[in-house]
Amino acid sequence: MKQGFTYLFRFLLYLILIAPLLLFAAYAFSTRWFFPQPFPIEWTVGTFQRVVHDSQTLSSMVQGVGIAFLVSVLSLLLALPAARVLGLRKFRGRQLAWLLIFIPSIVPPLAVGMGLNILFLRIGLAGTITGVVLAHIIPTLPYTIFTLSSAFARFDENYEFQALALGASPLQIFLKVTLRMITPSLVVAALFAFLISWSQYLLTLLIGGGQIITLPILLFSAASGGNPATIAALSLLFVAPPVLVLAFTARSLNQHGNEIREQY
Amino acid sequence: MTTVNIISLNKTYPNQSLPVLKDFSLSLNDGEMVALLGPSGMGKSTLLKLITGIERPDSGDIQFDSSSILNVDPNKRGAVLMFQKSYLFPFLNVEDNIGFGLKVQGASSETIHTEVKRMLNLIGLPGIEKRKPGQLSGGEGQRVALARALVTNPKLLLLDEPLSSLDTTVRMNLQEAIRNIQRELGVTTIFVTHDLGEAMAMSDRMALLLNGEIVALDKPENLFHRPRSLAAARFMGVSTFLSGSQLPVKKDVCSSSEKMFAIRPEHIRIQKEACKDSTPGVVSDCVFRGEYIEYQVNINEMIVRARMPMPAPMFTHGEQVYVKFAEEYLFEVEN
Repeated sequence: MKQGFTYLFRFLLYLILIAPLLLFAAYAFSTRWFFPQPFPIEWTVGTFQRVVHDSQTLSSMVQGVGIAFLVSVLSLLLALPAARVLGLRKFRGRQLAWLLIFIPSIVPPLAVGMGLNILFLRIGLAGTITGVVLAHIIPTLPYTIFTLSSAFARFDENYEFQALALGASPLQIFLKVTLRMITPSLVVAALFAFLISWSQYLLTLLIGGGQIITLPILLFSAASGGNPATIAALSLLFVAPPVLVLAFTARSLNQHGNEIREQY
Repeated sequence: MTTVNIISLNKTYPNQSLPVLKDFSLSLNDGEMVALLGPSGMGKSTLLKLITGIERPDSGDIQFDSSSILNVDPNKRGAVLMFQKSYLFPFLNVEDNIGFGLKVQGASSETIHTEVKRMLNLIGLPGIEKRKPGQLSGGEGQRVALARALVTNPKLLLLDEPLSSLDTTVRMNLQEAIRNIQRELGVTTIFVTHDLGEAMAMSDRMALLLNGEIVALDKPENLFHRPRSLAAARFMGVSTFLSGSQLPVKKDVCSSSEKMFAIRPEHIRIQKEACKDSTPGVVSDCVFRGEYIEYQVNINEMIVRARMPMPAPMFTHGEQVYVKFAEEYLFEVEN
């Protein structure tokens, strides 16, 4: 009986997660599906092919993934030192530092974006990939710092002292010990940064100024166009990279989670 | 291999008024194990940090083989650490953990392989190369940590309460193991502990540390039987101190009242009948410990603690007894 409930619960959970995707798939791969019909009658890959073969779709995806990747890397690099200090040390003004780090995600993104746009226009970063990447770092940084600082709060510096006493150089300690110890959180933080950047619409639009086209921008313009099949096809493409990244990291996360559990 | 000279080290942490180490000096002969014994928070861990180079002293010098190491980078000093926790890298197996030091110093993989094998035999755990730290027991973990520290052929081994988290049997085995390995390799060792028994069992010499200063430094047996000062005697478990005038026996050397005499609890005899030089008292407490009985006897408002090996006469609370301080075991201490 109890097991039956578990299975039912699981089924419902999966259904909630998968149902929207199924709906998207139904829209994307059908044609002439109108109101009274409960299910599509004619199936076609035509719409999907058209969307995929549109050169703008592909380039927007490549650009979006590239930006998200760069944002992940830069955000991690910036977050590491801050997270280390915030996680390991107690100092006066720590709360204030946290507040400052979180302010960009509290202030409405429109306000941040507009202000940033004026600044970037002045220094020539508006409409460039560099500008968009820098702008994306603002909403991602609080999450990467937060995730990594909790890893450092659990981190015991004696591992580094051990490595030091055994003759490792500071660089070796960082690469062979510190990074390895916080890998699970590093993966999670990178994932956060990637997802936030990938789905960023407003900042890309404001800073990119129509010159940097990522998939959310295409999706928004398609959504206002009103062709459900195109919207559905683009939406499926939109969820593909996050799902892939998630699938890839879930495996390594599980593996590293076990290793962390082993040490206690 | 290495003689170590620590010369009048001073260290005060910022925001603290009292120094952690005050004019601290200690010399270790080649291959010697010196135990640093003292209550926690008495500067022992700070000393280890100064030696490894994690912290810098305010003044003073640390020398290995007569040359100062204060300006040597921490990772080039050759002073290795072993803590209460093994701190084995959880993402590496036993072989890679032990080989870590050799690897970062650029040894070839064959050298690492043979050295790891040699160390595993030395610590009595051959064949566990592929295990992960999480699959080791507490005692095994500490053995592997010792192997990892010693494989680099260090100049100085620093042990910081390495056995404190282990249960008694494992602890006894490891005391022996560490002692034997240390002797076999002849590595100079500083052993920090707060356990008197452990310090006595393992060390060549013992230093008693109080408030950042060494109050006594000698072979364990000398310190145990004849601590020179009051503080040292307290450390070594002596609780009965008598001034010259309180002495029931008149030691011919001195009967002046300024001198202090002490006696170990196991050298105090408690008996039913009065005899020559005995003092009457009343039993105020009695604890049966198996191998011995602990008595507290009240002599004119002074509590005397005695430890009688079994079999011993049994006295009950409130019983009138006679206490005898064996003259040959009374020793003088500096106040």
